[in-house]
Amino acid sequence: MRIVKLKQKNLNPFLEVISENTELWAPVRKYTDRHVFAQVEDVSQIDVDYTRTILPPRKIFLPPSFNMFTATEKEYKENFSHATKKILFGIHPCDIHGLLIMDQFFNYVFEDPYYTQARNNTLLLGHSCWPDEHCFCKSTRTHIIEEGYDLFFHRLSEDYLVWIGSSKGDDLIRLMPDCFEEKLSDEDIQFYIRLREQRNEAFQTEVNFTAMPDLMELKYNHPLWEKIGTACLACGSCTNVCPTCNCYNVMDHPQLKERGSLIHRDWDTCTLQSYSEVAGGENFREKRSDRLKLWYTHKIQAYISKYGKPGCVGCGRCIATCPVDINVKTVSQALDGKDVDAFWNRLNKGEIK
Amino acid sequence: MNKDKVKIGIYELTGCAGDALLILDCENELLDIFKAADIQSFSMAKSDNIDGNLDVVLVEGSVSTEREVEELKDIRKRSQLVVAIGLCATVGGIQARFTNPKEWEKNFKKVYGDVKMEHTPPLQSKPIDDYVKVDYYLPGCPIGKEQFLHLFTRIVKGAPPEKYPRPVCVTCKFKENDCLLNRDILCLGPLTADGCGAACISHNLPCVGCWGPVEGANLTSEYYLLKEKGFDVEYIKKKMANYSGTKIAEFFEKIKEEKK
Ligand code: SF4
Ligand code: SF4
Ligand code: SF4
Ligand code: SF4
Repeated sequence: MRIVKLKQKNLNPFLEVISENTELWAPVRKYTDRHVFAQVEDVSQIDVDYTRTILPPRKIFLPPSFNMFTATEKEYKENFSHATKKILFGIHPCDIHGLLIMDQFFNYVFEDPYYTQARNNTLLLGHSCWPDEHCFCKSTRTHIIEEGYDLFFHRLSEDYLVWIGSSKGDDLIRLMPDCFEEKLSDEDIQFYIRLREQRNEAFQTEVNFTAMPDLMELKYNHPLWEKIGTACLACGSCTNVCPTCNCYNVMDHPQLKERGSLIHRDWDTCTLQSYSEVAGGENFREKRSDRLKLWYTHKIQAYISKYGKPGCVGCGRCIATCPVDINVKTVSQALDGKDVDAFWNRLNKGEIK
Repeated sequence: MNKDKVKIGIYELTGCAGDALLILDCENELLDIFKAADIQSFSMAKSDNIDGNLDVVLVEGSVSTEREVEELKDIRKRSQLVVAIGLCATVGGIQARFTNPKEWEKNFKKVYGDVKMEHTPPLQSKPIDDYVKVDYYLPGCPIGKEQFLHLFTRIVKGAPPEKYPRPVCVTCKFKENDCLLNRDILCLGPLTADGCGAACISHNLPCVGCWGPVEGANLTSEYYLLKEKGFDVEYIKKKMANYSGTKIAEFFEKIKEEKK
C-alpha cells in the first residue's frame, strides 16, 4: 500500500485520461436528491457528494435482468455483454465490503462466471463519504476499507489522499504521474486523522451486531415476526436495494421466430410470495413473517457463523427504502427489546386512526 | 390448416377490445404469430372464423350478459386451455368495481332507467373465472406486448406459461425510480401485478393499479399506511377499487366490519 496526494482540481482530468478506452461508471444525480451508478460520457456528470445510490453497485456485475445464454438443440451461446472493461469510480467503503461479500458468495463452492468475469474486468476506485442519519457501517465495521480497492480517494479540504491498493491502481496513477505528489505534509496527515475521528463521531445510528446471532436464536418464535409480517407489503424493495442480496431466478424465453430459447437471469428476492413456491404449487414460506425471518436470519445470524461477519454492511438502504419501516435498524432494536418508532409497530398497536 | 400447429381462438366479451387490439399491434411479430399457430377464430383480425374445437383460447372481457355466460361456457367446452387476458377477463375490469349486488341494481337503474333489455338480460360484470375454470391469467389494461409474446410463444411451443406473481415495485426498483410512496404520494405499486415495466413511475406518476391486484397483496397494510399519511379513507378505497374488479371485495367487507 502506498499513499499519494492529488489536487482536487486534477481529479476530473485524471478520470478523463484513465477512461479514454474504458467505460467509466460513477454516481450521478437522479431527480433532485437521489443518486444512481451510471455510465458517464462526460466526467462533469459525476457527483461525489452523495450518500447512497438507489441500487447497490452489484447491478453492474449482475444486472437485474439479463440474457445468460441462447440455447438450441445444437448450440449453446453464452452472453457476457455485461462484463465489459470498466472503471467504477466513487464507490463507498460499505459498498466495497458488499462486493467482497459477493466475491465470497459467488466463489463459495463453484465460481459464477457471469459475476466473476464482470468483477475481474472492473477496477474499483473508492471515495470517502460522510454518514447521514441512516448509515450504520461503523456497527458492521465496514466504515473503513483495507482491501478490495484499486485506488481509494480520501477527500481533504483541497486535496485528495489517494490510497493505492493494487498494482492495477498503480498503473492508473502512472498514466498521469505529474499530478500525484509522493510527499505528504504533517498537516495533511493531521487533517486526515482529525477527519477520521470526526467521521467516527458523526454516526447517528448504531446496531449491536455482536448480540444479534444469540437474539435471533432466542427470539426465533417471538411475536415480533408476526408483527412485521402483518405490515410487510411483500414489495421486494429491501432485498433489491441490499448490496449483499444475491438470489436470482432463471427463466426460459422461447423464441417465436427461431427454434431455441434465451435463458434469462433476473434478480429474485425472498420477500416475494413466489420465491419459495416449488413445482406442484407448494409454498413452504407462504407467510410474510416466515419470509422476513429468513431474510433476517441470513443477514444478522447465518452469515456471521459462516463468514465471520454479518451479511449487512450498514449502508442504510433498507432503512431509506422500506415504506413500512421494516429494516435492520428497527428489527434489531425490537429484538433487543426496544419499543421502536416504526409504522409496523404502530399498525400492530392499533395506533393508526 | 395445419395439424401440428396449436389451434387457437381469440374471443372478446365485454371490454374495450384493447387486448385484441394489442395483439394486432404486435406489428413486427404479427406474421410470426400467424405462422406459429393455427388461429382459427379472431374476429378482430379476420372474417373466416371457425368456432370448433381448440387447443387454447384467449378470452378478453368480462361477463356481463346472460348470452355471454352461454358463449363462455361453450368456449370452455371446446378448448383444452383457457387463458384470461386483460383486466376485464382477469378481475372483471372497471365495470365490475361495484361489488355489492344491490348497489349494482341501483346503479343500473340510474343509468338505464326501466328499459327492458330485449337482446339478452344484463348481469353484474364478473371476471370469467366466476363462470368457468381458467388455466392461465395474463393481466393488464391493456395487456403488455412483452408479457403477451412470452405467454403466446410458450403456448405454441408447448411450454406452460409462467406466472408473474411480483408487484410493480420490483421493476420499479430495477429502474431505480425514487419511491413515490416514501414521498407520501399514493402509489399502488406494492398491490399491483408487474408487467408494465413500472411505466407510470418511470414518468414520475404513481401506479394506479391497472394490471390488477398481485397475488398475495397486503391490502390492509397499505390501506393503513395511506391513512397514516393523511389520505381520506373514501379516496383510498376508490383508488384501490378502480382496477381490482371483484377480486378484493373481501377486503372492502373487512374494512367495513372494522369501522363498526
Ligand atoms: S441489510 Fe440494509 S443496511 Fe444492511 S447492507 Fe442490506 S440494505 Fe444495507
Ligand atoms: S420489508 Fe419493507 S421493503 Fe421489504 S418487502 Fe416488506 S414492505 Fe417491502
Ligand atoms: S414508487 Fe410505487 S411502485 Fe415504485 S417502489 Fe415505490 S411504491 Fe413501489
Ligand atoms: S397504473 Fe401501474 S400497472 Fe398500470 S401502467 Fe401504470 S404503473 Fe403499470
